[in-house]
Amino acid sequence: MVLTASIIESSLAVTRTTRLIARLDIKGPNLIKGVHLEGLRVMGRPEEFCDEYYRGGIDELILMDVVASLYGRNHLAALLETATEKTFVPITVGGGIRSVDDAKNLLRHGADKVAANTAVVARPQLIREIAEQFGSQCMVLSVEAKQQGPSRWEVFTENGREKTGREVREWVEEAVALGAGEILLTSVDREGTRRGMDMDLIRHVSSRIQIPVIVSGGVGSPQDAVEAVTSAGADAVAIADLFHYRRATIAEVRQAMADEGVPVRSFHAA
Amino acid sequence: MICRPASLNLSVYNANAKNLPAFYGLPSEVKYCKKCVISNQRPNSAVEYQHQKKTQKAVISFDSEGVCDACRFAEKKRFGIDWDYRKAELSDLCDRFRKSDGSYDCLVPGSGGKDSFYASHILKTQFGMHPLTVTWAPHIYTPWGWKNFQAWIHAGHDNYLMTPNGRIHRLLTRLSTEILFHPFQPFIFGQKSLAPKMAIHFNIPLVFYGENEAEYGNPIQDTDKAKRDWSYFSARKDSEIFLGGVSLEELKQAYGVEPVDLQPYLPADPEKIERQGVQVHYLGYYLKWHPQQCYYYSVEHGGFEASPERTPGTYSKYNSIDDRIDDFHYYTTRTKFGIGRATYDAAQEIRSGDITREEGVALVKKFDHEFPERFAEEIFRYLSLPPREFPVASRQFEEPLMDRAYFEKLTDSFRSPHLWRHDGQQWSLRHPL
Repeated sequence: MVLTASIIESSLAVTRTTRLIARLDIKGPNLIKGVHLEGLRVMGRPEEFCDEYYRGGIDELILMDVVASLYGRNHLAALLETATEKTFVPITVGGGIRSVDDAKNLLRHGADKVAANTAVVARPQLIREIAEQFGSQCMVLSVEAKQQGPSRWEVFTENGREKTGREVREWVEEAVALGAGEILLTSVDREGTRRGMDMDLIRHVSSRIQIPVIVSGGVGSPQDAVEAVTSAGADAVAIADLFHYRRATIAEVRQAMADEGVPVRSFHAA
Repeated sequence: MICRPASLNLSVYNANAKNLPAFYGLPSEVKYCKKCVISNQRPNSAVEYQHQKKTQKAVISFDSEGVCDACRFAEKKRFGIDWDYRKAELSDLCDRFRKSDGSYDCLVPGSGGKDSFYASHILKTQFGMHPLTVTWAPHIYTPWGWKNFQAWIHAGHDNYLMTPNGRIHRLLTRLSTEILFHPFQPFIFGQKSLAPKMAIHFNIPLVFYGENEAEYGNPIQDTDKAKRDWSYFSARKDSEIFLGGVSLEELKQAYGVEPVDLQPYLPADPEKIERQGVQVHYLGYYLKWHPQQCYYYSVEHGGFEASPERTPGTYSKYNSIDDRIDDFHYYTTRTKFGIGRATYDAAQEIRSGDITREEGVALVKKFDHEFPERFAEEIFRYLSLPPREFPVASRQFEEPLMDRAYFEKLTDSFRSPHLWRHDGQQWSLRHPL
């Protein structure tokens, strides 16, 4: 039985390539990185990191304006214009998306998808509005999950600072019903710690929904990223710390995936 | 007898009121630093043993360009100090005091938060010292504060935890809240005095504190010294000592406090300190202190964890997170000086280069005024002195029990008219950032 299950799993996996995504959390003019989304350290200019990751063969980029909720608007439009001149992979932009117009503005500046958390928790119908206007493939639900007990995770907003009282899987299921096309699932407990991803959380969410789950938080080595896919069912892995601190290259993560039989896009640096 | 707070005359809080009195000796004109978000209302650290209701505050100074001392010091830290030389000085100091006979050679007081973690761990692992750590317990531990405290010890330190008598601590906290609106004060007594007393007790000649208070705005001259001024920790005569704004004599006479109950709060005996030659140094003088870096260091070396939720009144999760009363500490500074937790946090992070002033301003506007709801009911119970538990002390209070309404009235009685106005509905700062 076990054997059969694994054969089915791997044959399913063949149909879908696993994406490697670089996640850039941005504050003002700077790329930043924290631990548990806290103690945000200035890493450098995001344009340069985008460029480097594109040239290194990244499949997608996620740009998050982490102070957008604070200022009430997303500041990434200008960055997007510069980034899209030189990078030709899908870009997801998140932070401070509070209306269809906010989403439209970012899409107009070159984003391929928008990710929303705080505003859609406050008003879930916004998911439907964005999905109806631009299509579900465009509407990424960003979930900041913090463990509150065995097999229980709570949704947090405002970059892991505010509790919502909502259970993660219930929220994800509601969001999928409203039209979310993809989930970006971040473990606040693991984020920035390099201790490996929260496999239980990933299974908890990915086992119940059909849309792709991008997982984020805790990748300390290429192997951690591989495991999230092979043993927990992630569809894509978003990596920040490992790349920003140059502790591993995109090629190394890609190779680690391939070595374990995970289908990845083949990429040869120019 | 401590009476209920009197009803306020709201006319002095009117938007158009003139000749507004300034409480606590604060400057009547409110100014904000051009570089950070601190205002000129920020009091310097003072000797808490002398703190009485009538005490007038000395405040942070601003230079002719409108920049505060703390920002100037931060610039100096970045450009004007030879940190390699300072580090070498620390090595020399450690060489002089290091012991290899199986005894402790230095003492590091702390909570197990990120700063004390960094201090004791780096002394042990990089400077080859043999520290004993000592901890003065918070009023009421938060679960994450306790967990981090344990993580500190388990990262390789011996520790003595001193927890003062809960009844006496509650009484002193009620008094300090009622008389000075300073619920954190009883903690400060032990925080300052425990280390020198333990150093005397264990015959440890060297005590390391972390940062210098001056980094946050005491007179900038203070930052040129590695050694701490004894006035913060010692007192010559009992008659000079006030706890919660009440003299020792009155505590014994009127509040049913036994002499032994006061021991944990009393400062070290300066003669014993001198006789044993105990020296107290700031590690922040020798090593370039960056609170965010201490967070990273303690996560990496000891599994330190940020609190699971942001602290009310601010945005941060890694700073002063172990005491449930902390939320109220900053709420009271906001009431008295117009400076809440977000202001302190943002000012520090701006100076350290972690955030911009623009972001700091937005953070202060968003969080500084917030009432600390999460532990409020527990804190009101903590501040209550029911006659069954406090048969003598409760008689000194017209209302021994503290509830929300009482706390709000008390809060209002500490609002200085030069800072606050009331529009008939709610309070707001006259001169917000």
